[in-house]
Amino acid sequence: MLGQIPFGVADYFWEEALQRQELIAELLATFRRWGYGDVIPPAFEYATSLSAQASAGLQAEMYRFLDRDGKTLALRPEFTTPVARLVGTRLHDWPMPQRFCYAGSVFRYVDPQAGRQREFWQAGVELFGAASPDADAEVLALTAEAMAVAGLRDYRIVLGQIRYFSGLLAALDLTDAQSEALRWAIERKSEPALNDFLRDMPLGAGQRQAVEALPGLSGGDIQRVMDQAERHCLNGEMHRALVNLRAVVDAADGYDILNSVVLDLTEIRSLGYYTGISFEALAPESGFSIGSGGRYDDLVGHFGPAQPAVGVALGVDRLLLACQRQSGTPSTPQPTRPHALVLSAHNQAAMAQVQSWRAQGYRLQVEVNGRGLTDVLAYAARIGVGQVLAWETDRFLAYHPNADGLFVPSQGEISFDD
Amino acid sequence: MTNPAALAQENETSRANRPPLLFALPKGRMADESLAFLERTGLTGPLDTNSRKLVLPNEDGSIGFVMAKPWDVPTYVEYGAADVGICGLDVLRESGRKVHEPLLLPFEYCRLSVAGPANRPDTPLRYASQPRIATKYPRLAQEFFRQRGVNAEVIGLSGSVELGPVLNLADLIVDIVETGSTLRANGLVEIRTILEVQAVLIVNRAAYQLKSREIQGIIERVRAVI
Repeated sequence: MLGQIPFGVADYFWEEALQRQELIAELLATFRRWGYGDVIPPAFEYATSLSAQASAGLQAEMYRFLDRDGKTLALRPEFTTPVARLVGTRLHDWPMPQRFCYAGSVFRYVDPQAGRQREFWQAGVELFGAASPDADAEVLALTAEAMAVAGLRDYRIVLGQIRYFSGLLAALDLTDAQSEALRWAIERKSEPALNDFLRDMPLGAGQRQAVEALPGLSGGDIQRVMDQAERHCLNGEMHRALVNLRAVVDAADGYDILNSVVLDLTEIRSLGYYTGISFEALAPESGFSIGSGGRYDDLVGHFGPAQPAVGVALGVDRLLLACQRQSGTPSTPQPTRPHALVLSAHNQAAMAQVQSWRAQGYRLQVEVNGRGLTDVLAYAARIGVGQVLAWETDRFLAYHPNADGLFVPSQGEISFDD
Repeated sequence: MTNPAALAQENETSRANRPPLLFALPKGRMADESLAFLERTGLTGPLDTNSRKLVLPNEDGSIGFVMAKPWDVPTYVEYGAADVGICGLDVLRESGRKVHEPLLLPFEYCRLSVAGPANRPDTPLRYASQPRIATKYPRLAQEFFRQRGVNAEVIGLSGSVELGPVLNLADLIVDIVETGSTLRANGLVEIRTILEVQAVLIVNRAAYQLKSREIQGIIERVRAVI
């Protein structure tokens, strides 16, 4: 056991850790530019809070343990619920809307898969106190910008409106088992399962057509999908879902992101959690979604006065993986190398020069083992650093490897650019 | 084609020129039927499965076919290593992989059943307090008995499951039954069907959206011949 780490967690180090930190920093910087303020919820809290509206699946995946007073605690499996708790219980009287952004690791007891260990990283935003399509469109547009910021060239946002399907369920007046059968058929896009459902159900002609049309209600031709869906509205809720969806699409068009948006009214995975639009971000190189979000107007009310809310959570690990695959550079473990190693004998002028280079953003490592030039050059060659600076009376002399890989002194200006 | 360097070179090339769509097919028992079925859809002509190439392109290069171990097909497709695949429903349900499954295919008909010794007393399965079940399908077997309130001791095997009761390793087995002749030969009878099995077309969830034109094309071609 000593020296091992448990299944499902990872040590990140060198360039891989640096890339991860830089991506998170860039995502947070982007969120802040859109007016989102930072929030850092605790890594664990009462399990009852975290499961306020969690699906059975997510509840089963939570790491739970007992506090010393016997209360059940859980590691956060996501950020939305803790942030909703904060807003519902402590910030309910602060003027709405309120915008929050976060990044950090979450914990789920799942079988590790591509870009998702048991501890994995999320970055995202939550926008509270705005029920408007404009708020939905802002979160969609911010998701698109986050993809671009991460360096992903090719991605799609698959957008659905859960109320279209929940309206259909209501209109069909199904038993729980029948609803479940229909939900399963739609979620797995299974024609045979849908046919089984239709065969066993006594439905009116309009109802039957609405169910039959459902699998076709997806695609990049947004107008066509919405027009087709419109023809099969069976009640006010389905109609209102489409009115809302049109308004969100119109608002999103203002951000010029519709080229990356695909509509899918059969996108119903989080039935019972989302209350309006829901979406997933996909990239061709990754078989898994790299982010998901939507409107959840019922969550904050568990903790305080109800507030409409919409948000998105991006999977940092999957985003990194998708970017890597898109750029075609497989990740090989690379140490983070300084621009130069520095040899100096306790000299103020030398250290001042080093400090000024560091202030310009260059990474410089000062020799601390008291080694001489020969040993430091050998060390530099071994770890792959291409420049050694040795202090000679009043200035630094630079050593670079020649064609044979031997370090030789070089003349001229010292430069850190490759 | 015995030169490893040339082969490596060729596989390197095929990685660079990944066909627009990758289709995972099961090796072994299901391979012939799957290939014959695909030829009927017109998606591909005969594929040279004896070739040592890893990815076999169809005539116009629009689809690359990969021959995979049947149990690996759902994994390939869930991870997006392949966009589309064919496997048995038994394998798909046992794997629990999250993929789309638009169509059932008209071959590989069989059933996953509970079977036991022919001389077993005719009592409901739920009367046994802790039956020992030998199976290649531990997940489905466990689930079947759990739904009946029975905490079965599931013994995972990788083949020749019908030996379980014969060697007194297990009381019952959960296994694929086609004609029942293997069961009879080992003094076993079918007790209950768990799952009606046939081949199924599966699709990666992301590819379903991102390559929807190509995928819908495949689904239509397949639908036309089933």
